[in-house]
Amino acid sequence: MRKPVALAGGCPTSRGMSWAQASLLARGLCRGWGGICGAALTGAPFSQVPPQAPRGLHCSTAAHHSDSSLVPRPPEPPRRPAKALALHEELFRQAPDGARDKASFVQAVQKFGQHNVHRRGHVDFIYLALRKMREYGVERDLAVYNLLLDVFPKEVFRPRSVLHSIFIHYPRQQECGIAVLEQMENHGVMPNKETEFLLLQIFGRKSYPMLKFVRMKLWFSRFKNINPFPVPRDLPQDPVELARLGLRHMEPDLSARVTIYQMPSSKDLTGVADPTEPHIVGIQSPDQQAALARHNPARPIFVEGPFSLWLRDKCVYYHILRADLLPPEEREVEETPEEWNLYYPMQLDLDYGRSGWDDYEFDIDEVEEGPVFAICMAGAHDQATLAKWIQGLQETNPALAEIPVVFRLAGSTGELLAPSSGLEEPSPPPPEGQEDEEDSQQQRQQQGQS
Amino acid sequence: MSGCELFLRTAAAAARSCRALVAFTASHRALRTSPPSRAFAKELFLGKIEKKEVFPFPEVGQEELNEINQFVAPVEKFFTEEVDSQKIDREGKIPHETLEKLKSLGLFGMQVPEEYGGLGLSNTMYARLGEIISLDASIAVTLAAHQAIGLKGIILAGSEAQKAKYLPKLASGEHIAAFCLTEPASGSDAASIQTRATLSEDKKHYVLNGSKVWITNGARANIFTVFAKTSIVDSDNSVKDKITAFIVERDFGGVTNGKPEDKLGIRGSDTCEVHFENTRVPVENVLGEVGGGFKVAMNILNSGRFSMGSAVAGMLKKLIEMTTEYACVRKQFNRSLSEFGLIQEKFALMAQKAYVMESMAYLTAGMLDQPGFPDCSIEAAMVKVFSSEGAWQCVSEALQVFGGSGYMKDCPLERILRDTRILLIFEGTNEILRMYIALTGLQHAGRILTARINELKRGNVTTIMETVGQRLRDSLGRTVDLGLTGKLGAVHPTVADSANKLEENVYYFGRTVETLLLRFGKTIVEEQMVLKRVANILINLYGMTAVLSRASRSIRVGLRNHDHEVLLANMFCTEAYYQNLFSLSQLDKYAPENLDEQIKKVSQQILEKRAYICAHPLDRTS
Repeated sequence: MRKPVALAGGCPTSRGMSWAQASLLARGLCRGWGGICGAALTGAPFSQVPPQAPRGLHCSTAAHHSDSSLVPRPPEPPRRPAKALALHEELFRQAPDGARDKASFVQAVQKFGQHNVHRRGHVDFIYLALRKMREYGVERDLAVYNLLLDVFPKEVFRPRSVLHSIFIHYPRQQECGIAVLEQMENHGVMPNKETEFLLLQIFGRKSYPMLKFVRMKLWFSRFKNINPFPVPRDLPQDPVELARLGLRHMEPDLSARVTIYQMPSSKDLTGVADPTEPHIVGIQSPDQQAALARHNPARPIFVEGPFSLWLRDKCVYYHILRADLLPPEEREVEETPEEWNLYYPMQLDLDYGRSGWDDYEFDIDEVEEGPVFAICMAGAHDQATLAKWIQGLQETNPALAEIPVVFRLAGSTGELLAPSSGLEEPSPPPPEGQEDEEDSQQQRQQQGQS
Repeated sequence: MSGCELFLRTAAAAARSCRALVAFTASHRALRTSPPSRAFAKELFLGKIEKKEVFPFPEVGQEELNEINQFVAPVEKFFTEEVDSQKIDREGKIPHETLEKLKSLGLFGMQVPEEYGGLGLSNTMYARLGEIISLDASIAVTLAAHQAIGLKGIILAGSEAQKAKYLPKLASGEHIAAFCLTEPASGSDAASIQTRATLSEDKKHYVLNGSKVWITNGARANIFTVFAKTSIVDSDNSVKDKITAFIVERDFGGVTNGKPEDKLGIRGSDTCEVHFENTRVPVENVLGEVGGGFKVAMNILNSGRFSMGSAVAGMLKKLIEMTTEYACVRKQFNRSLSEFGLIQEKFALMAQKAYVMESMAYLTAGMLDQPGFPDCSIEAAMVKVFSSEGAWQCVSEALQVFGGSGYMKDCPLERILRDTRILLIFEGTNEILRMYIALTGLQHAGRILTARINELKRGNVTTIMETVGQRLRDSLGRTVDLGLTGKLGAVHPTVADSANKLEENVYYFGRTVETLLLRFGKTIVEEQMVLKRVANILINLYGMTAVLSRASRSIRVGLRNHDHEVLLANMFCTEAYYQNLFSLSQLDKYAPENLDEQIKKVSQQILEKRAYICAHPLDRTS
């Protein structure tokens, strides 16, 4: 695995440098010849998906449209009959039982090789295959990518002279190779030795796919574990499990306990739960529990939400139970007990403190926020559901019975709501009509609790 | 057996006349509230050596020595011939006959004054007997829990009536005492004690409720010293919870035990939970003042630690005998183990540790025996830390000499190793005691240096110039002379080199303490890694002083093998000197040797994840 990196490191030396300089020069020349060649090498050839495909030297007439999809659209060859593409499509349609899995995909790719000894139209086929990968669920399979690369004929596109490598040799093919690597990159697939070997055979050492490969080897290893809060690649399908994961993801305290206050009534994995009994999953740490027990019952606490949390491609919503920050005059000053430590003094009776030179504290302006006592994720975001959560919390937090709970919920479910920043700011107004109902419910709730 | 007891008691009576004063002061030691100003360890923090306290090495008179030896002989005979430590460890209890014999030897009342039927031993004599008793760790712990902490409260803080009522039976061993402080939620944190004592309606009783854990002698004891929270009305009419100490008899009712704890070592000692349920304690049984329990507890804990030094030394001497025998008999490659350098090294280590801790223990005992309640709690804590760590290290090395056979249950080393482990933990863990040693000293130095430091902080030109000049002289390599060596010096010329090392260390330690106080002030409490180094240096300094003092005396009075002592003393002083230099340089600001920041960062990252977070060496990114 070290070898490609070492190669990349070796690149800027002597030959590599001159090669890079030469290619820059060549690009300049190309621009100069713009009209003659009809080739506009727009953008850096180093960019993996150039907005416009470099055409010209080998006169591929493909007009390359890149759009927002991960896989670049295959060039639409005007000269090539649409029949060819349809033929390729046919390969994918030939699965015996219509199954779309790795085996049928591999079969399709292999059939292409068998039907087409000269590999005619392999670029189009690869582009098509790249787009089909997701359908077949093989977009994260390194072996399949290697198989796709294997479709390229070997040795044909290798530059044979310095000039070849200066002026992009077979740009359309190189670009296609880059597209394969790019799709690997987008799905987090790390290329391996076999990939390297294939690329070497197809494009040679001094080619853009190889450069892309080397860069992937370098940066993948650095970025793979850059997220200090990793999310598993395959998220659980069960909403309760997903909520558990999301709550753990947000809660920094590892001692916090996740409690399932209510299981969804229909427990099939399709996610279609009975709307009357959605799941309610909450998390609370011992510190939060203690803080709630200390809370002054005269001050209300609030249920707020829903706030959104993205876990990979899924968005989940959560609610928090929080209180306002105590005004300074009500805060209890924590005093150190006189008789505290049986063995050694907890504070020295001296009238001088730390000298400025040893004070490494930065002067940070910290905005204090009110305490958060618990977080929950529920299948529904209405007050009735959240009231059940509060009831469940009361079992472990008896103090909650005496504290008035105010529900400040955002209007319709599923909508994102900016967290209220200021404390003085009024809570987001609930939609008309719900307010009265909410107030009355709230009163009922309070009466029920007190 | 009774003859033996009689003999001991007559010997004690004979001793009474000659050391009445010492015995008197020892038995009537009141609660100390303000420590005397001049104590050796505290002065070290100012870079001074209080010679009077430690030179010459404390001696006992010939009569007293004879008396000690008369005590020791029968006890030693009993321990070597009749106590089967292996059996005690295996069965997890001390046989009844052994306990009876211990009682008849008077070992349950060693420090109880004679007028209450105890032996009234001085601290030095107590330390001497501790050497023998420690041959069995379970017995030593049982006895220590009984008298070093269990009944110590009554001696230190009890009223005359309480002493007269309880001490005689405790001294004879008819009653056994236990010390009930630790609770599930409260180790050294007195504020979290949950046990409560509430005054009854008629104000004649306190009703005691709560549980105490890990109580040595918990199942056997009849008298408990219990610490509980009581509501106290302050002078300003506010109600506060304060700790009060009580003498609780098992017969008061409501006292129950949990099942015996299954321990790693000292398996023969009886450790269990003790529960108090509505135990009615008469108000006369309050120990000391109501609400004054914290001080009582502190004094009890501080008073008993010095004896661990001699106890461990006694154990190590025995250990050296056992190990040398094996090393000289066992042959490999046609050579006995004793011919290998790496084995020889271990014996030097054991001898050196034993010598140092013995010196420290008897020096401290001697200081404690001086008239006028000297406060030697720092010294005692240093003895405890040094001896417990030395014990663990030496036993481990001794076991290493035995190799595989040392690991087997048949070999006593395995049991001794398990027994030794507790020494680092009980009577205040070594970490906590290091904090105590460093902070108590820094508090003393900080008060005295207040004026100077304030002037420096205000930028008084004279003081600053003075300090800079002093530092400049120091860095130009001044020779430190604190008056230990030279003509008629306190130290014998043979060990003068080591004495110079000590002087240099002490001087620069004083400078460092001043710098630390200037840098951190009272926030030094939070700098535990700094405090650890301060404590380590101080322990080394005290050890150096003790061995120099003892070796000088040995040379001057011409004791047997004093050249061996000189070797050990010089060896220890040199080692400690370089350790101290290293620690001192670590205490400098921006010292490259100081890895505290890295250490903190590593531990923080681990604790955040609560796991070892490095990837497996075989992991790959692809």
